[in-house]
Amino acid sequence: MELLIRNGFVYDPINSINGEKMDIAIRDGKFVQKVNEFSARKIDASGMIVMPGGVDIHCHIAGSEVNTGRLLRPEDHFKDFERKTLKTRSGVGRSIPSTFTTGYRYARMGYTTIMNPSMAPLEAKHTHEELNDTPMVDKATYPLLGDWWFVLEYLKDGAIEECARYVAWMMTTTKGYAIKIVNPGGLEAWGSGRNVSCIDDQVPYFGITPREILRGLCKVNKLLNLPHTIHVHTNNLGKPGNYLTALDTMKCVEDLSSEGKPAIHITHCQFCAFKGSNWRSLTSGAEEIAKYVNNHSHVTLDMGQVIFTDTTTMTADGPFQYTLYELTGNKWVNHDVETETSSGIVPFRYRRKSYVNAIQWSIGLELALLIEDPWKIFMTTDHPNGGPFVYYPKIIAWLMSRKAREATVQKINQRARSRSLLPSIDRELSFYEIAIMTRAGQAKALGLVNKGHLSVGADADVAIYNINPETTDPSTKYRTIRKTFRNAAYTIKNGKIAAKNGEILEHVKGATMWLDVQVSDPIKVTEGMKRRFREYWTVEYENYPVTENYLEISHPIAVKADV
Amino acid sequence: MISLHPQKEFVFPIIAEGINPDVFQDKNRGEIEELEIWEGNKQKKLGELFKVKETGTEPQQEDIAIVIYGDLSRVRRIGAWMKGGEITINGNVGMHLGEEMEGGKITVHGSVGGWAGSMMKGGIIEIHGNASHYLGAAYRGSSQGMNGGRIIVHGNVGYEAGAYMRKGLMKIYGSVGQFAGFRMHNGTIYIQKDCEGRVGACMKNGKIVVAGFLESVLPTFTIESIRKKVKIGEDDVAEGPFYRFLGDLTENGNGKLYVLKEENPHLSTYERLL
Amino acid sequence: MPVVKAVPCPVCGSLCDDIELTIENGKIVKVKNGCAMCESKFLSHNSEHRILKPLIKRNGKLIEASFEEAAKKAAEILADANYPILYGWSSTNCEATRVGLELAEEIGGVIDNTAVICHGPSILSVQQVGIPSCTLGQIRHRADLVIYWGSNPWSSHPRHIERYTTFSEGRFQRSTWKRYLLKVKASIVRKKIESALRRVFFKKKPSTPRIGGLPPSMLREGRKLVVVDVRKTKSAEIADYFIQVEPCKDYELLQALRALIRDEEIDVDKVAGVPVENLEEVADLMIKCNFGILFFGVGLTMSEGKMRNIDAALSLVRDLNTRTKFAIMPMRGHFNVTGANTVFTWQTGYPYAVDFSLGYPRYNPGETSIMDILLNKESDATLVVASDPAANFPQKAVEHLVKNPLIVIDPHMNVTAQMADVIFPSAFVGIEESGTAYRMDHVPLPLKKVVNPPRDVLSDEEILRKILSEVRKLKEKKLVEVA
Ligand code: SF4
Ligand SMILES: [Zn+2]
Repeated sequence: MELLIRNGFVYDPINSINGEKMDIAIRDGKFVQKVNEFSARKIDASGMIVMPGGVDIHCHIAGSEVNTGRLLRPEDHFKDFERKTLKTRSGVGRSIPSTFTTGYRYARMGYTTIMNPSMAPLEAKHTHEELNDTPMVDKATYPLLGDWWFVLEYLKDGAIEECARYVAWMMTTTKGYAIKIVNPGGLEAWGSGRNVSCIDDQVPYFGITPREILRGLCKVNKLLNLPHTIHVHTNNLGKPGNYLTALDTMKCVEDLSSEGKPAIHITHCQFCAFKGSNWRSLTSGAEEIAKYVNNHSHVTLDMGQVIFTDTTTMTADGPFQYTLYELTGNKWVNHDVETETSSGIVPFRYRRKSYVNAIQWSIGLELALLIEDPWKIFMTTDHPNGGPFVYYPKIIAWLMSRKAREATVQKINQRARSRSLLPSIDRELSFYEIAIMTRAGQAKALGLVNKGHLSVGADADVAIYNINPETTDPSTKYRTIRKTFRNAAYTIKNGKIAAKNGEILEHVKGATMWLDVQVSDPIKVTEGMKRRFREYWTVEYENYPVTENYLEISHPIAVKADV
Repeated sequence: MISLHPQKEFVFPIIAEGINPDVFQDKNRGEIEELEIWEGNKQKKLGELFKVKETGTEPQQEDIAIVIYGDLSRVRRIGAWMKGGEITINGNVGMHLGEEMEGGKITVHGSVGGWAGSMMKGGIIEIHGNASHYLGAAYRGSSQGMNGGRIIVHGNVGYEAGAYMRKGLMKIYGSVGQFAGFRMHNGTIYIQKDCEGRVGACMKNGKIVVAGFLESVLPTFTIESIRKKVKIGEDDVAEGPFYRFLGDLTENGNGKLYVLKEENPHLSTYERLL
Repeated sequence: MPVVKAVPCPVCGSLCDDIELTIENGKIVKVKNGCAMCESKFLSHNSEHRILKPLIKRNGKLIEASFEEAAKKAAEILADANYPILYGWSSTNCEATRVGLELAEEIGGVIDNTAVICHGPSILSVQQVGIPSCTLGQIRHRADLVIYWGSNPWSSHPRHIERYTTFSEGRFQRSTWKRYLLKVKASIVRKKIESALRRVFFKKKPSTPRIGGLPPSMLREGRKLVVVDVRKTKSAEIADYFIQVEPCKDYELLQALRALIRDEEIDVDKVAGVPVENLEEVADLMIKCNFGILFFGVGLTMSEGKMRNIDAALSLVRDLNTRTKFAIMPMRGHFNVTGANTVFTWQTGYPYAVDFSLGYPRYNPGETSIMDILLNKESDATLVVASDPAANFPQKAVEHLVKNPLIVIDPHMNVTAQMADVIFPSAFVGIEESGTAYRMDHVPLPLKKVVNPPRDVLSDEEILRKILSEVRKLKEKKLVEVA
């Protein structure tokens, strides 16, 4: 099938196209040089913005922890539902939508690629089964490896190459995409009810520090030539004063970057940019972090923006979630996974009038605005931790309009207002910069070569928004911005018109991308390995891997490793 | 005044959120008959299931009154979210009556199904028959129970009456099942007859008065004093003497549980602790 | 003879995945590593009760029919129904459940799984309180205090203790199997002495039962096993400590423990038949352990108080986490009941009792759950997959169930099938059909197809897909007719 998008204002930052009026041609799911003008289906995009489909580097949408969150909160979704139509499946929404609804809602906003950032390897099948039921988007998922006993043991022995071979095995075995590290060392400690306090604290029983884990896996990542960097949720997340831990974490791999390429991604950075010694004296550490990031090239970040609403927090960071339970007294789920990781869930309401929450809200935006290079910081809410992803248009408006920020600042806790840096920041992002922070930059950081741009040969994922950049000033018309980005005029997935003005036209299935990491000397399955397996886990070696038939549409990406 | 009469005996659940004075407001008979209603999995028009009559000639006054006759025990969600007006039901009625209502009055001359007045915020529900389980309770997963208004039941009530209650008054002239006032935060529950037990479990605050027989008080309540009488709502007083217990200890609670001494001689062992 | 290794056992929620099967001439002839329940399932699944052909009731008699015919008949029943129910799902794979949900949505029906009659109350309470839990390996590696409450794993989940808890060998905790053997030996010796004494002194009971106080075994190092139940079960016999709770008083006992671990004083001397001093010791034990786990079974979920018993148990364990590390887990019965809840939840947001009659998922156990619907006589057709409600539901519910058209998909001619209008024979999931199942701790495992089903017998998933496509055809036809 051929499709021709005509006359739109095109924003394609990877190709340095900044609002030029041009046509985009698509054939068989890919961008092409041109199509038959007469027979191709045409979309008149004049007066509209054309961007690559949105990419989300970090959103919890599938797997054990997400699903337990769904189960936990009938009261969260019973009033927000979607009826079945002739084209679509029914479902429920709010903070943790059911799988089909998740896909539809992303597609309505013009998103076409999303990354599920936390998967316990032992439960990887679950994640993939849910991803199969998440339509409209291509997706991938990151296995949690920072507290895996194998990693701890090999790194402790300094056996980096051996560790790398096991990580390669794990990546392929779980059909994963990147190395996810959450509170390194802290999750193993949480298995016995403890935590680590800084990146040089020892992990009980294992005699290794978070620093060693971070550096070790960063080296492994490089040895394996993985497309993304290590994806890190820092130690001490959600604790006052933790911006120092975040800085330590970035610094500790400073020397491991080569050719100025990123070596680490600090995720939902807002949650680890707290200054102050307790909740009362909490202030923003965004300035310090921005300063560091502006002067270094080895780091990328995502915001983890907070939205003032009721949501459900869920991370693999068991001890952090427990603290959150103690703070709120809300219902609390904990789920530790043998030999690998933990996780926790607590419903949470971010309140404008809460000092802490208002500061958090401010921090996220400060980070995005103070970090000069939009290729280094991406827009996320750490869905659903900072708020459900459906609020992205709100964030876009805040980033593009000083007025929009002011309007909210007026309504937040007074003490927080006086401490917020936002009133002193004039920067207003352009559509071009938004395109970087919501798709191009994310795709680049992820090393997704066929996503986030409109070059010939790339995947034909497009979002068209009905707003004229020549006649609309986002700075004053921030409400229009919000409205526009809520429902794309067209969302095109694999060259098919998937959604139009908020209506799902086709239930498109997306592929699951995973890394087929090829090492020269792969792990051999010896009887010894099987025995070790039996000692570490309660399942047999044979039943552990996610075989390819688990993936409804499998999209392996071959990676040649240096080991 | 509008009156409704079922056209037939219902077999499948009927979801009738449309039967609500706010919805009927400014609508003539024809428009009311067109309202959406669900019978099992089929969408119907209200007029297909109910005969709609207008009585009284006066132009619609401010507060609309709806009167329903017949067996409505399968009809659910009548008066849900209503803000004003009046509904009178002559017969039994199904679940979720007046769920989340904010104002107005519902009177039932018959018995009601579960979750009546669940999560209500204001208004009055008066039931002359019995009420089933979860009277004024919260939806699954929620800890926001009844948050205002009044529920009066002249018959008996099932279990978990007033679970997660936060505000308001519940007066029950019959007896109640287990777990009345479960995890209540505040508000008042008065039970004139017997109470099956585990009353006030995990309550944090609020007041429960049992004027009938209560087999045992949970071990996580402690006796505090004996009171001559106790205030019920704004204008009512129940004559004692009552044992006054505090709890629930498990929740660091400060809830007050009053149990009528006269009806409960077996609780006199507690007196030695006073 | 071919031996298949690492086969997950499709019987109970322990989902042991180390079973070794020997296959001869397409038949399983030997089962290694499994418990008795497992062996009998693998060896005798092909019993004489097997259904081999689809059946349709005509004039009160079940007559063989083609698959095509049966599917059409089933589709007619379901497409016409005003309030149909699709029930079962805990003894099939997740793949079948996925199709089941799609079918339920298509026909605007209610879909419910067997959790409703076992751990439904547990789920309702999890939705109120949350649940601090973990996978079973965590317990094997770390737990030094294991409590089974209202559960008798020795009979219901025979390998649970040996594979995952007290008798398993973990990284930080050793197995206490040896200690148990010593104990058994000692008790045999004691019994011998007792009987000798009896013979000599003609006394009935020379040793008086100990009242109060912890037995010496509880003071030892290493992991401990505690059982709480209304009667002394086999599991209670092997336990280091057994607490006998008065029937229907679990709630009081749990609440009292909750108060005690908060260092509160209790007004009464005994709770649920247990002296408060003993409870204080138990509370102390819980606080002082390094990693505790409380497993609870239907003895707790289905006894008086139901969901609120679980509310108390969950709250107890949650509160304990301020003092130490503690986890809690329901002892799920059927091998894939957890999977059914899991798939329901990701597709609809709700774990069971999901009502699609308004075109979107609604959930309210007590209203949208099968038992309540049957007792209220609201449904007009039922499809049962891999379950036997007629054998274990109350009489009144069964009456309504069989009064209306009933479709059964099952390998066996069970009680429900005997009363059905349309019957589909199906392959045994986990023996003749692969797919995913979820262990009680949410670990997904791949079920194996080790032998072929009888000729022409299809899987649950295939049968459901066929019915779904027939329903869609009927609906399309109707649309065309209307137009
Ligand atoms: S314990 Fe359960 S799962 Fe394990 S072998 Fe026995 S029946 Fe099968
Ligand atoms: Zn996250």
